[in-house]
Amino acid sequence: MSQNQPAIEVSHLRKVFHIPQRDPGLGGAVKALFRPRYAEKVAVDDISFSVPPGEIVGYIGVNGAGKSTTIKMLTGILAPTAGLVRVLGRDPHKERVANARQIGVVFGQRTQLWWDLALVESLNLIARIYEVEPKRYKELLEQFSYTLELGELLAKPVRQMSLGQKMRAELAATLIHEPRVVYLDEPTIGLDVVVKEKIRAFIKEQNRAKGTTVVLTTHDLGDIEELCSRVIIIDAGRVIYDGPLATIRERFGKYRGITFETARPLEHPLTLPPGAEVVGQEERRLELRFDRTRASASQVAAAVMGQLEVLDFSLSEPDLTSIVKQIYGGALSEARPV
Amino acid sequence: MTLRRLLSRYTGFSGMAAKEFLAYNIWFWMNLFTSAVAMTIFVFFWKAIYAQADQIAGLGFQQTLNYVLLAQVIAGVGESGILWTFGYQLREGRIALELLRPLDFQGMLYAFSVGNWLTGLLSRTPLLLLALLYGLQPPADPLAYACFAVSFFLGASVMFFFEWMLGCFAFYTTEVWGLGVTLFAIQLFFSGTLIPLDMMPEGLRLFAQILPFHQIVYTPVSFLAGITPVSQAPQVFLGQVAWIVGLAVASRWVFSRAVRAVTVQGG
Ligand SMILES: Nc1ncnc2c1ncn2[C@@H]1O[C@H](COP(=O)(O)OP(=O)(O)OP(=O)(O)O)[C@@H](O)[C@H]1O
Ligand SMILES: [Mg+2]
Repeated sequence: MSQNQPAIEVSHLRKVFHIPQRDPGLGGAVKALFRPRYAEKVAVDDISFSVPPGEIVGYIGVNGAGKSTTIKMLTGILAPTAGLVRVLGRDPHKERVANARQIGVVFGQRTQLWWDLALVESLNLIARIYEVEPKRYKELLEQFSYTLELGELLAKPVRQMSLGQKMRAELAATLIHEPRVVYLDEPTIGLDVVVKEKIRAFIKEQNRAKGTTVVLTTHDLGDIEELCSRVIIIDAGRVIYDGPLATIRERFGKYRGITFETARPLEHPLTLPPGAEVVGQEERRLELRFDRTRASASQVAAAVMGQLEVLDFSLSEPDLTSIVKQIYGGALSEARPV
Repeated sequence: MTLRRLLSRYTGFSGMAAKEFLAYNIWFWMNLFTSAVAMTIFVFFWKAIYAQADQIAGLGFQQTLNYVLLAQVIAGVGESGILWTFGYQLREGRIALELLRPLDFQGMLYAFSVGNWLTGLLSRTPLLLLALLYGLQPPADPLAYACFAVSFFLGASVMFFFEWMLGCFAFYTTEVWGLGVTLFAIQLFFSGTLIPLDMMPEGLRLFAQILPFHQIVYTPVSFLAGITPVSQAPQVFLGQVAWIVGLAVASRWVFSRAVRAVTVQGG
């Protein structure tokens, strides 16, 4: 494979599920047996993107947007209805087994580990299946044990692990054969901040050290901010944004916050330039936000200072969560030049 | 060399079967206990029957006792449980991850079953000792043991592929309880675990011989019990191999259709 060939290539990908429809009761079941009816559900409508080797891409969207369905098609477990998928030059569905050797997958709360056996048994088996050199395996096990703090988990059956422990175990199992492409479908779901941090550090390290290509699905934008330089946002099975994280901020971070510390409490309503409004007010603290397409920070600051004695003020970048909320909420339809 | 490497990737699963077996040690003792009780009941049952007759269907008391004891020793060992495995994997949504292992799915589960059969046989040693206490007279001919071992593994393989086909229903219904229980009852009777096939009425016996179930109990045990002479072994093995080839081909075809329920319909 040449250096410039994308690790993942998706073009006009589409997935339509046929859901059997059945009237309730025995009569319905019998009727469905003879004359099955189906409802169509377009899970992925038309998606195209490509990911160069070594990139970590955040793949985000609201519940039911089609993220997991896309990931399943990328792994080869689900056949596309139409469109093309290439992973490391292969059709993952047609060459499922060959493709499986090169990839690693984590599906949210599912596990590929053996429930009743000590974690190390599962890892040993996986290393054997993927033919990881014994020496390399030992090295990796040590590294992973350190970063993911597997220590006493290795001897523990998965059945007895907490959610966070399970996820760390799962990640170790997924990356022990050093796959070139990794799909992580909500790897931080339900985890506390400390474990999240560990997992992010681990993913980052694997990506940096081995050039692993990562597609990451999450509802935690902290994951995205920490790991991804590029984000693909999908909605109703279509790409609504594909580009750098920074651009999202620039283009869609319409509102900026500005906070003033004042000498005296505010006594009379403020007159503000168009596009600015008060969002919070305490004793001697005043929080405003303004639409930066309509007003500038200096206009707002000048207006406030003209009416009040200001001791200090600070400007805040819009945080990703609120931006994405805006985008999910349909802000893109007004600004579509993706 | 490459074949050995390839095999080693699969045999890892056989080892997992043994380890998983050890993880359930409470089950092991339970199972041993109920089997011991069943064996005891059988011994008294047949003693009472043979108090009335010297021979039944051409079998003398010692032959029948040998058969019944050995059948109890290996009862259930040759089952693969594929039906339950499919049911579980589909219900838990685990099947996708299993299909994503870089191995042939059937080969993987076959290797796992082989591990199960071996550990199953080993774990039955205490029952064998009990059977000896109850008067089991093992054959002197070493060939009889070889025939037992070969026909048991061939028979278990036949049942593996057979159950694989049935298991494919799970992909459409996701509900395997009814089918599983029915299969268990049919298997118990038609495998010859309760009575040797020889004692069944003519029509029933023919029917039992058409079905594959007898291959995991009756066929191997009858070599050890002196019912099937060793000289018939080649013929028996050939028949089993034919079953395996036919069912292996058919089961792969059926599976390739069934798995679409997952890969096309999304499970
Ligand atoms: N096997 C299936 N059969 C029918 N419909 C399905 C199937 N799998 C997914 N869908 C539907 O397709 C749509 C997309 O589902 P998908 O799981 O891809 O969403 P998602 O973006 O991963 O959502 P979430 O953030 O909740 O995980 C949903 O409306 C879902 O109900
Ligand atoms: Mg999802």
